[in-house]
Amino acid sequence: MDNAVDNLFEALFALTDLRVLLRETAPSHKLSAEQQMQARDALARAKAALSKLEEGLQE
Amino acid sequence: MKIAGTIPIREVEENFINIQPIQAAGRLTAEAMKALIAYGDGYSTCDQCRKPFRLDKITKPPIAEFHKDLARFLNMDEARVTPGARRAFQAVCLALAEKGDTVLVSALGHYTEFLAVENAKATVREVPTNDLNVVTGDAVAQKIEEVTREQGKSPVLVMLDHFDYSLANEHDIAGAAKAAHQYDIPILYNGAYTVGIKPVDGKALGVDFVVGSGHKSMASPAPSGVLATTSGYADTVFSTTQMIGDVTGRQFGVKEVQMLGCTLMGGNILAMMASFPTVKRRVEEWDEYVTKSNYVVDALLGIKGNTCVSEYPRKHTLSKVDTTGSFDTVARTHKRRGYFLSDELKQRGIVGAFSGATRAWKLNTYGLSWDQIRYVADAFKEIAGKYGLL
Repeated sequence: MDNAVDNLFEALFALTDLRVLLRETAPSHKLSAEQQMQARDALARAKAALSKLEEGLQE
Repeated sequence: MKIAGTIPIREVEENFINIQPIQAAGRLTAEAMKALIAYGDGYSTCDQCRKPFRLDKITKPPIAEFHKDLARFLNMDEARVTPGARRAFQAVCLALAEKGDTVLVSALGHYTEFLAVENAKATVREVPTNDLNVVTGDAVAQKIEEVTREQGKSPVLVMLDHFDYSLANEHDIAGAAKAAHQYDIPILYNGAYTVGIKPVDGKALGVDFVVGSGHKSMASPAPSGVLATTSGYADTVFSTTQMIGDVTGRQFGVKEVQMLGCTLMGGNILAMMASFPTVKRRVEEWDEYVTKSNYVVDALLGIKGNTCVSEYPRKHTLSKVDTTGSFDTVARTHKRRGYFLSDELKQRGIVGAFSGATRAWKLNTYGLSWDQIRYVADAFKEIAGKYGLL
């Protein structure tokens, strides 16, 4: 798979994990320690994928 | 934020606790959302469709294996995915019933069962519930006798919901199956409110068909569903086309008549497959969800004047309650009338209670965490306290 496409899906999927966390904690969105870790992980995965995507598209 | 300039983003599930009666167990898993992202294109299942060109034969992605898994999951012999439970009712009715035939359904049966019977040009007769609003095996037997006496022939099918849509009371499926089989009548188990949230064993129940709803109880998009059957009925309900075009001589071999060929050809089946591992796990947690359901219903019953219309203690997460003696007394003089309750709930981040309803209404707590369950229970008590109902 083209790296750009791979990174695109990785970012979308990481954000989807974050979306589900928001659902699981509605309406307050107060995250437990474990959920905070999951949220940080999802955001990190999204950011990393987006950075790679950006780099790849600029080459 | 709008999609295509006109379609608002749906953020109900992200911003609120949703207790809407029919939406709870159809909420997607993260994996199903990912499948929709990747497989949303129309015929996305067909990239590697090879001979014999039928959905349930596709191995990449593993759709064929999913069909086998579905049959195993329900302890039946064969399964097909369908566009909702209703299309499964339709398939069975078209395969088994014809003009002049009678099909028995429950007095609490879903309207789509009626339509499926009508579609086959047959006639519905209802099995009455008892004083507890439950259909028993004896009632099924009595109705079979009654119809047979009147018409000189037996009904051709019994369709019965395990838990009905109206009260979510549990009906005696095993007893009904035993009764139906005593008269050599097949029975269809309507598991729209069970398949995907609680364990269902078709053979242990003794039924001939198991129907489930993907969008109602299997964390899948609409429309999606499942029809499973025994090896004895598979050839009948999944019969293949015999038609030959008179001009072209064309034949379509393995295409199944009642399925109208392939059924879920895109993101819906992939999302259903993606949710399936979670679905298999979560059915084992059913008792916990029922405990949570009772926690919320108990909180409502703690408010003076409230009653539970559904059987109680609850055996399901869907419940009908009557708040005529509490919230409705407030509605009579409130400037927002019956809408005050949904307003108060929404202010607390809870939606899904029927807007304007303060007499008999339904809620479903499936899928909520204990934090969310306590929050909902406390919200009802808080609203009751605010209006002096405690």
